Amino acid sequence: MLSSIAKPFAALALAAALISIVLAALGASPLGVFAALGEGAFGSWYACVDTVVKSTPLVFTGLAVALAFSGALWNIGADGQLTIGAIAAGAIGPHLGNFPHPIAIAGILAAGCLGGAVWGGLAGWLRARRDVNEVISTIMLNFVAVQALSWVVHGPLMEPSRAYPTSSPIARAAQLEFYFAPSRINLGMLLAVVLAAVCYLLLFRTGAGFELRAMGRNRRAATFFGVRIPALTFWVMTLSGALAGLGGAVQVSAISHRLYEKLSPGWGFEAIAVALVARLNPLGIIPAAILFGALDNGSQAMQRTQGVSPELVQVIQGLVILIILAFDTPAWSAVREQIFGATGAAAAVPPVAEMPDA
Amino acid sequence: MLRANAITKRFGRTLALDAVDFQALPGEIHALVGENGAGKTTLMNVLAGSLAADHGEAILDGLPLQAGSPRAALAAGIAAVHQSPMLFERMTWEENLALGGFDTGTGALDLDAIAARARSLGAKLGFEMPPDGATVENRSVAERVRLEVLRALSFNPRVLILDEPTSVLAPSQLAPFLDLLRNLRGEGRIVVLITHKLAEAIAVADRITVLRRGRVVARTTPAETSEENLAGLMIGELVAEPAPAATPSHSGAPVLQIEDLTLDDHTGRRILDRLSFRVAAGEIVGIAGVDGNGQTELVELLAGARQPSSGKIKLLDGSPGATMAVIPQNRDLDGLILDMRLWENLILARRLREQVTSHGWLNASHAIDLCRELIDRFRIRAPGPETTAGALSGGNRQRLEVARAIASRPKVIVAHNICRGLDLAATAEVHRTMLDFAFGPGRGAVLLISSDLDELLAICGRLLIISRGKIRETDPGERDPQRLGLLMAGARD
Repeated sequence: MLSSIAKPFAALALAAALISIVLAALGASPLGVFAALGEGAFGSWYACVDTVVKSTPLVFTGLAVALAFSGALWNIGADGQLTIGAIAAGAIGPHLGNFPHPIAIAGILAAGCLGGAVWGGLAGWLRARRDVNEVISTIMLNFVAVQALSWVVHGPLMEPSRAYPTSSPIARAAQLEFYFAPSRINLGMLLAVVLAAVCYLLLFRTGAGFELRAMGRNRRAATFFGVRIPALTFWVMTLSGALAGLGGAVQVSAISHRLYEKLSPGWGFEAIAVALVARLNPLGIIPAAILFGALDNGSQAMQRTQGVSPELVQVIQGLVILIILAFDTPAWSAVREQIFGATGAAAAVPPVAEMPDA
Repeated sequence: MLRANAITKRFGRTLALDAVDFQALPGEIHALVGENGAGKTTLMNVLAGSLAADHGEAILDGLPLQAGSPRAALAAGIAAVHQSPMLFERMTWEENLALGGFDTGTGALDLDAIAARARSLGAKLGFEMPPDGATVENRSVAERVRLEVLRALSFNPRVLILDEPTSVLAPSQLAPFLDLLRNLRGEGRIVVLITHKLAEAIAVADRITVLRRGRVVARTTPAETSEENLAGLMIGELVAEPAPAATPSHSGAPVLQIEDLTLDDHTGRRILDRLSFRVAAGEIVGIAGVDGNGQTELVELLAGARQPSSGKIKLLDGSPGATMAVIPQNRDLDGLILDMRLWENLILARRLREQVTSHGWLNASHAIDLCRELIDRFRIRAPGPETTAGALSGGNRQRLEVARAIASRPKVIVAHNICRGLDLAATAEVHRTMLDFAFGPGRGAVLLISSDLDELLAICGRLLIISRGKIRETDPGERDPQRLGLLMAGARD
């Protein structure tokens, strides 16, 4: 457990070292750049809040991806599911003005869940009943979702003046309010944390979660022991879509308040990296999402004060992921065992075909 | 000459090979015998380059072999056939052989040429080849072993190492296979045969090396030794456990009833043809057959992993929740999830999973306690419940599967080739557990599906034969292995 938290940080340090070399080669000061990055991400109360705001959609989509991947269901469609969730929220949002605040919030979030659930469930159904590879179906559904968003903001949901390609703003009652304004702290962040805990419990403390993980590790064995693969596939993809859709609704309700084209800058894809960095552990999703959110947020300060392009941040992100994956090899485990000694029974024994009985 | 000099290999705290010296000469069949976990497979992996030794080196004809490189070993002329077939399940058999030495060397993938070469080599060896373009996942274990042997021979190796190749062969296939080994020896090759079937080693080998707990304890020849002598060397003392005597069937109430069970595959080929039989409480019924005659599919149907085309599987016991525990044949693919922990593997069994789950919540500590108890009761050699299943030896993996089946308190146990790859002691232990289950106070029903006729004759009260998807009962007194072997091979009477 401890090592699974420590590893990403070690990877981060290694990535920083590599990036320093790149920066130095480009003639920039690595220290200055990293200071600006840190300053921009965590340098002040508002910077911290902004980092968390940027991380929030990544927690939702990261959880969606982690859940599906745990069952070896390669949901590449969190972006589309989030987008459909956002469309549902943006469509219902303007009409919730006459409801009490809690009901309006529940309504807009439920709409987002439902939208995402339909989008994810569709891919799940196709896999379960028609054996359509979910990688293909979710990618295709991403395209459909993006174009659907573009269409609704130019068509049925376009704001009344018809001057801008956006939807009407959602009703005040349906907006997740900011606490400590002008900071953008909102209940959506709390919801993300709670859901991470719920997903953790679901995955590791329930029978259904066990069946899901068993399916992910060995589909054929799971079949032999009475796991109903098609039903599980459908429901997991539905739940995964609902999580991503909820992320879209939270974004609309708390931050954007309306729909516009390219609402998601790719949260659903970044989520794959987030989930892998977190090793599909829902509790790890939060720090992983904050890491990516901080890099995004800090990049702006970095660009402002050091004149480094924000693209470099993407280079850093890429390096972090690569290094974390490279760390996750038997060779690394062996090194760790040599240095720190065996930490647990599972770590001490080799995954080799034959081990003496003695 | 193939030589291993003082090879030492350690896994964690366990010494798998302890300064092992080994020599095999051209034109000989060298049997390497030992119990499960004696280090036979580890030694093969070192020789074939799949594992790098900690100390010592392997030398072929005076040239040291590059450690830990299967490619270098192949180039030097050492080919290995592994115990668990290393085939690509979703690929056709031709594609599987394309990784062998049949290719044209031009860099272009010519599957027709590869298939043609494989067929001609196969014909020389007397192998029946699968139909064109058949994927490996639907082939029997015996066919897979043949494909592996073909692939190994395609490299025209000077040394062929085979790890328990005969454990998946039916009696009728054994003699031709041993003849094949003799032919290879006749061509001046070195054949290293890893086995724990002592009769086989004595029948076919020129020399025998005995391993026990990572050490060479004897080097001998068939003329100088006997099965009893070898068993004593392998186990350490002469305590070869007597196989339990065959027990007459005391038929109680029928528990499992199969009626007209039929299965067609997606191409419409009939896999199982109107099977009907019943298994009663307090009896062990055996189904004998050569692999690939519908056994795997029958087990899948019984486990509920597949739906029959028609027919019924009934559990007749009146008590609600009468259950069946299935032990599938392929431990590593079907029965266990190797990178999950022991306790997690335990609760793969639906009954146990329900037992440690309340209102949907999984009680892990309950499962861990149960696992610890079973580790003790079934003497599974493992550090503890948190160990991953992949870290256990083959024998202990099987103990885990048997423990899981018994612990779920079923009315019926369906077991497919449960003793495959197990040594004498482990086999006797599994058999005893099955006998206890059937004749103990619980009076369970056991359906034992196996290609090992000796095993079935040893513990089954009643014997059925499966051949080409059809099942037939044998006469109650029929115990003659030769006659039964003919029936397994498909003879009418």
